[in-house]
Amino acid sequence: MKINLFAGASVGLCILASATTVSAQSIDYGAMQQLFNEPVTTSATGSPQRSTEAPAAMEIISAADIERSGAADLPTLLGRVAGLDVLNWGAAGADVSVRGYDQAMSPRLLVLINGRQVYLDHYGYTAWATLPVQLHEIRQIEVVKGPNSALFGFNAVGGVVNIITFNPKFDNARSVTVRSGAHGFGEVSLIHSFKLGERFSARVSAGASQEDEWKNHNPLISKKLLHDPARVSANIDTMTQLNDKTELRIEGSWSNSQISEMLSNNSYSPTKYVTDSIKATLASETRAGLIQLSAYQNDLSAKHIVVGNSARFDNTIRVVSLQDLFKVGAKHTIRIGAEYRHNKVNTAPIAGGELSYDVWAISGMWNWAITDKLSTTVAVRQDNLDLKRRGTFPTGYPPVANDYWNRSIKKASYNVGVVYRPTGYDTIRATAARGVQVPTLVDLGAIQVKVVSGPFTIGVIGNPTLQPTIVTNYELAYDRALPALNAKIGVSVFTQKSEDVKGMPTTSQLDIAPTPISLPLLSYRNIGDSKMTGFELKASGTLDGGFTWRGDYTRTDVKDRPTAGFIPAQRLAAFSQTTPSYRANLALGWAGDHWTVDGFARFVGKSAYYNSASVLTPISAYATVGGNVAREFGKGFTVAVSGQNLMKGAQVQTPGLEVERRVLISLTKAW
Amino acid sequence: MSNRNKAGLVAITLMMLAAPAAHADAAKDVLIAGRALTFLENGPSGRAVLGVVFDPSKPASVAEKNAVMAAIGGGMNAGAVTLTGKAIEAGDVGGASGVAALYVTKGVNVGAAAKSKKLITIGSDAGCVSSGACMMAVSGDPKVEIVVSRSGAAAVGAVFKAAFRMMIREV
Repeated sequence: MKINLFAGASVGLCILASATTVSAQSIDYGAMQQLFNEPVTTSATGSPQRSTEAPAAMEIISAADIERSGAADLPTLLGRVAGLDVLNWGAAGADVSVRGYDQAMSPRLLVLINGRQVYLDHYGYTAWATLPVQLHEIRQIEVVKGPNSALFGFNAVGGVVNIITFNPKFDNARSVTVRSGAHGFGEVSLIHSFKLGERFSARVSAGASQEDEWKNHNPLISKKLLHDPARVSANIDTMTQLNDKTELRIEGSWSNSQISEMLSNNSYSPTKYVTDSIKATLASETRAGLIQLSAYQNDLSAKHIVVGNSARFDNTIRVVSLQDLFKVGAKHTIRIGAEYRHNKVNTAPIAGGELSYDVWAISGMWNWAITDKLSTTVAVRQDNLDLKRRGTFPTGYPPVANDYWNRSIKKASYNVGVVYRPTGYDTIRATAARGVQVPTLVDLGAIQVKVVSGPFTIGVIGNPTLQPTIVTNYELAYDRALPALNAKIGVSVFTQKSEDVKGMPTTSQLDIAPTPISLPLLSYRNIGDSKMTGFELKASGTLDGGFTWRGDYTRTDVKDRPTAGFIPAQRLAAFSQTTPSYRANLALGWAGDHWTVDGFARFVGKSAYYNSASVLTPISAYATVGGNVAREFGKGFTVAVSGQNLMKGAQVQTPGLEVERRVLISLTKAW
Repeated sequence: MSNRNKAGLVAITLMMLAAPAAHADAAKDVLIAGRALTFLENGPSGRAVLGVVFDPSKPASVAEKNAVMAAIGGGMNAGAVTLTGKAIEAGDVGGASGVAALYVTKGVNVGAAAKSKKLITIGSDAGCVSSGACMMAVSGDPKVEIVVSRSGAAAVGAVFKAAFRMMIREV
């Protein structure tokens, strides 16, 4: 299959490369941003758009923001974005969500690097330490708040994080950074861009880091389930100009990491990951529009400890997609696309089975500039998933055949947006979106484990009849620029409904009763609906003397509506209790000739979360402070001192390990 | 003061603070024009001469020409190009040579002459696009706006890159 898939993609690439009426291709983000004086994104609709005109709630973290953040990892950066929640489980283990619903192995946030999924499909979450990207090679991080399945497909339900790296064709990124700090922290990273002749450019990067895991004061957490985080990763990104107006981008990556992570059953696991990927993208401008054909494969080997058993999942994802983006007349921009995806994983900890699915999808987007001030966008996508299982079953499991897994999921998603700009200062945006969170491979049956409890043995089995969670979101937003104050403000209100929320297996409720020939079994179930409403306030600006400031406040109110017979707290899905009622950020910065000084404060309302015994534990409201002081010494040398969680040596943010203060010093040489 | 009055006062204050600047910023407009030119197929790179077209009988046109020439100075870096300015009287456009594009000051219309010479014309007033006085209008306040005449571009053989076309207003 692997050979056929990429052979087919290669034929397509050759056909496109031989087109005779081609012209320009990839987006030069830097030049566009310079021209329009604001970031440019393709993550809202698939079409390049100015961030202020995108028909979606978006935040863009720029390379400059990253540089001045002092952050050494992505969750720290994302935790400073309006409306985002972060559960910090360990020195390198964290889960991120948008506007609530955060949980261990958070499944609702789809994460990509240059459009390639780095979200791990086996358990359905993002292990941030596995991302093969160095912070200094990121051009911008595009955060979409709310569903965007109509563009990205399954699992873009709570939001999307699309990490855009520097493009070797346009950007000359070269630096080496050495970072050290308390708790045994050490990191080195290297980025080097180069050109060979007029038509070939590349960027290579590599990095390694390690640190001590946070101290364990919690008697419920076994030390055997923790280990010190470490990671090594490498990436290559090449761009070849096939002719004047057609380009081929090939990206490859590898990472090897270990972290103490929180599994979805709220037990720590000393997990080890190895990932690799290869992606080819051909982009060409023809008379039929901007055509892009891409194919990629992700390989994952993840070794978890699941209820005391070693579970190794080998997950392979292959994706081929084709899209055409074109403009009709002066006012209509249209995108049509098709995608094929193959996904497979073995069963674990009890081996013997393999789950796989194929997804065929078609999608379309229509943007209509109705007037100079009013535009509308409609995007739709249809995904058809065909699930299969093969292999053997553990002894004591129900007498079902692999055919029981022959199941299709056919779901449509949409994004509709209206953007009205009555003046050059005001923007009003109304959006409606429907996203699809497909059950994970583990939910569907990749997990097979037996638990001995006293004289009893209980099995855990996946549920191939599990329904996808459908997330529908409505939002109304108003932004206003205040040029006299060099500032801008924004307010938005939103409401979101999640139907057929997934509940986890629980020993409090048997899902399949025992028979004379089979064990009692626990499984995943759809347990009802959940509704969230909220609002967000944002303001930012600059002041004389090189000062910048930013503040935001996001309030959410979540109400769970379980189906009769289910208790969300038992099923580890009590989002009304686990979602804090508010999260807020304040940031103040100053830049002088050679110095930058930045401070960040984050405030999170009280909530609750499950401890390792799956008991909801109250978490008090808390505040954290971070900062960064950097001095540029010329010739590309910069020295920075940064810190996170500076207010306390150790702080309770979850029922897991206490979050420790981190102080780092870094030396960067750019050339 | 009631809450309603306070809210009204805040709203009025915000609107006053946001009042648009009374005059266009010539430097900003020329910078946008130069950067926009780099999104042309086979667009200019390196040093490029921008002809600044003015009517000596119109003081506003002369003033704008002076402002633009002053903004460009000895050379203005605008993305992949470094612009230099060359003042051209409206009546002399037919004989203009060595220019990458024409920047047309307000109240001047050299559309026909520029089309015959296949020259791109750029103005800072969106109205000049609809009147045919320019092929492209740029402005920087309160936010960057670029308007391109599709027929005007076709008439001079100007083709912008597709991604750029999706981010501007075409008429």
